[in-house]
Amino acid sequence: MIRPTPEQKTQWEQEGYLVFENAIQGDDLKRLQSAFDFWAAECKEEWLDRVEAGEAAATFYDIPNPLEKDPIFIDIIDYPSYYGALMEFTDDDLILLGPQVRTVAPWPVSYTGWHPDVGKNNPLHIKVQIYVNDVAKGSGEFGFVPGSHKPDTGPYKRPLLQESMPGHKTFPGKAGTAIMFNSCGWHTSMDNASDTPRKSIILIYEKRTPGRIGPEQFAAISEHCTTPERRKLFSLAD
Amino acid sequence: MPRIDAHVHVFTKVSPEFPREVSPNWPAEREEPAEKLLGEMDKHQIDQAVLVQIGGTSIEHHSYLLHCLKSYPDRFLGIGLVPPDHPNPAEHMVELADGTGIIGFRLFDLGGPRDIFATTDAREFKTYPIWECAAEKDYVLWLYPRSIDAHLLPYLVQAFPQVRVVLNHLGMTPGKGKFTLDEFGRPQIQVSGYNLNMHTTYRLARFENVTVHLSGQYAFSREAYPYQNLAGWHGNLLNDFGIKRLMWATDFPWILEEPGYGELTTIIEKLLPNLSESELADIMGGNAKRFLRFPNRNS
Repeated sequence: MIRPTPEQKTQWEQEGYLVFENAIQGDDLKRLQSAFDFWAAECKEEWLDRVEAGEAAATFYDIPNPLEKDPIFIDIIDYPSYYGALMEFTDDDLILLGPQVRTVAPWPVSYTGWHPDVGKNNPLHIKVQIYVNDVAKGSGEFGFVPGSHKPDTGPYKRPLLQESMPGHKTFPGKAGTAIMFNSCGWHTSMDNASDTPRKSIILIYEKRTPGRIGPEQFAAISEHCTTPERRKLFSLAD
Repeated sequence: MPRIDAHVHVFTKVSPEFPREVSPNWPAEREEPAEKLLGEMDKHQIDQAVLVQIGGTSIEHHSYLLHCLKSYPDRFLGIGLVPPDHPNPAEHMVELADGTGIIGFRLFDLGGPRDIFATTDAREFKTYPIWECAAEKDYVLWLYPRSIDAHLLPYLVQAFPQVRVVLNHLGMTPGKGKFTLDEFGRPQIQVSGYNLNMHTTYRLARFENVTVHLSGQYAFSREAYPYQNLAGWHGNLLNDFGIKRLMWATDFPWILEEPGYGELTTIIEKLLPNLSESELADIMGGNAKRFLRFPNRNS
């Protein structure tokens, strides 16, 4: 586990995000890309049926229950390159809320506007977005307003154009880049004007609070969680 | 400022003069005539309304709508329908709208690929000629797309920035197999608790030619009037589209028995309680008058 440097800790506190370039690389990245592409293709027709039935949005789709589909999706939950920072910022009391293994189609408009996920009184809520393919500028890259997680900032209003958000920063990156952010800060996916879908994984964590996640939530992958640390992360019984 | 009901339906019994198709909700003997609507409107100080065609897409099927528009030219504007397989939709549109009070056309099916990943060129969409005609003739397009078509909209809106677009019924996009009638004969649309249209139709807010109806709450809510569980959707639409691009409507006649026309004339102030008087007046009619170019009412 790699703990954050003092500079990273300061940036996290002041700006609310950290970027880990090459967080996942080599064979692990290939495994991740291969599993992503396989399961995204497998699940696509079912997603389209759900769109037709009004049960899923037409502009993006998530692989259902990814943790049960390939162990690589479990292995990235506590991946060493960013796991130390997650633990540090939550006083070593971290829980996983869930993953979103997401494909976002090119579209004239981003599928989501600027927003925070939680209020500022919520227990620390952290997301890690991992790019599975290269995400160039203008192809659905992550956007964040540095400092917007702080209690004394705002109020913010969602602008009509993504690029009109005051003070925002965008994060194009290579496959394997991980962007960690405090999700009470304002963030979005920028417009994807390219012809390439954006493939990314969004891991959602929170500082533990009693009863937030029950042991049944991730019971299906219990056999993959053999260390006490991992069982605690997945809220599984000892 | 006038108060305008921006989406209603009227129809009469099937007759040689006014032929129409029938359905469980509008059988041959049922009539909900313009005069009944006008009675409700006058009782609740509503000045004008948009009559939206139901009961068929052919020119003949529009007979009663055309009759109403001719009889009450300062009270109503009309929205027509286009036969899905018409070989020349522009011809049909022009014939219906030429000096009649019909200002636009309603579409449900946009005719593009169901898979967003296969969507490339709007010119290949089946409804592209309808949009072309609307652009050329300055017709309004009245949209209630199916959920599988929601992703097609920005391609068309982007291609035709001059076409005025009205998203019906809170910008919702009903799913296949999710439509039923309730015990009052009202359409009921089963929707998920999380509003998926946040990721489709609501994203059209950046296009200034797109407006949204605040209407049809009864069809999406499982609660009784005033459908407080939909207050958040109204707030989101207000935040995204702004005060000048929202239009109140009742969806008469489906709401006559429950909750009643009068109740619906106060629904906006209940679901958006922080509006100023002038903002409320915009939603209750000012926006419809400006966007749809309603004539002044003869007093």
